[in-house]
Amino acid sequence: MSTAASDLAELLARVSAGDHAAFQDLYARTSAKLYGVTLRIVKGREIADEVLQDSYLRIWQNASRYAPASGSPMTWMIAIARNAAIDVIRKRVHDAAAAEIDLPDGAADPERQVIVQDQLGRCLGRLAAPQLECVVLAYCNGYSRDELARHFSAQVPTIKTWLHRALNALRTCLEAA
Amino acid sequence: MSDMDREMECAEFVLGTLPLAERAALQREMETDAQLRDAVLRWENWLSGLNDVVPAVEPNPEIWRRIEQHLRPEPASPVVDTTLALRRSRARWRAATLAFGAIAAALALFVSAERLKPQPASYLAVINRSGDLPALIVRVDTGSETVTVRSLAAEKPADRVLELWYVAAGQAPRSMGVVDHPETRAALPAAARAASLAGATLAVSVEPPGGSTTGAPTGPVVYSGKLIRDQ
Repeated sequence: MSTAASDLAELLARVSAGDHAAFQDLYARTSAKLYGVTLRIVKGREIADEVLQDSYLRIWQNASRYAPASGSPMTWMIAIARNAAIDVIRKRVHDAAAAEIDLPDGAADPERQVIVQDQLGRCLGRLAAPQLECVVLAYCNGYSRDELARHFSAQVPTIKTWLHRALNALRTCLEAA
Repeated sequence: MSDMDREMECAEFVLGTLPLAERAALQREMETDAQLRDAVLRWENWLSGLNDVVPAVEPNPEIWRRIEQHLRPEPASPVVDTTLALRRSRARWRAATLAFGAIAAALALFVSAERLKPQPASYLAVINRSGDLPALIVRVDTGSETVTVRSLAAEKPADRVLELWYVAAGQAPRSMGVVDHPETRAALPAAARAASLAGATLAVSVEPPGGSTTGAPTGPVVYSGKLIRDQ
């Protein structure tokens, strides 16, 4: 099944007109990716199931908001899923009762895992190792500042500084592209 | 806030490390600030290459069936227990619109019963702004006796909160708590756990921080829906 941007954009256009069949097709082509992204962040199937369901309902409702000029359909849909997933886990940590989250073993080996294409890959490659790891753990695994601080045995303000340095460096590098 | 601070806020929002309160505030601002949306979009695109790092995982086929149920609520049938009739007062709604600003005046309520699990009745209400993000999802699960309100993009004035009310037929409203987190879960009041939910109303009002202090709604009711269940 094609996940080419042009095909997905066409499906989204049909979805925005209320086409159920197009939506089912879109789901079939994209749900495994969105589920993978979600599961990695929320770290539990039951919650991932709910988040995926919410994400696709949002996609269904907001398909008309997708503008091809502003990015690929996949990027747009993954952003919806990531936002839903992060909202859920931040809330979960916010609840005192559910404050304990097991950090998965071996979750981090970003330098080996990251095979990022093009300019982002080059720009990430220029970051100092802990900064790169912060960015990847946060983006891919949903780590909060607190979780990053625990992971690196560092203070939260230090983590914030690392993140900002990393993000600023990325921005400078990516804008130069 | 300096441009740089704002830029970092957008970047950390996309990265996911922006703390909950700032995250929620930014999401609210994005609804009305196109420049902010563009900044966030730019970061989404910049970092999107990292999506390749995460492997795809096939979801359980059940999830599609659940999604489909929400798209296709059962067509009109003689069984009334799947309907949540919406009652809306125009006058109240106008007042609420003033308070809410950006929430569109057309408030649509769509309901479907989850028929996947045989017994525990589960009602889902998605409160939409017209053609926009769902603002609130209200789920009533008689099996676990809980009401879950998920606030997706509900906008409210910075100094106000949303409060959920359960109104049993002919009785005074009982607060089910403030809906100021992305997801709020509340136990179904004892009155509602009894045999029937028939005639009960769920309502959402706009209240001062911490919720109403009088035990009754003090602000405009922005939504109320009657739960009809035919036993």
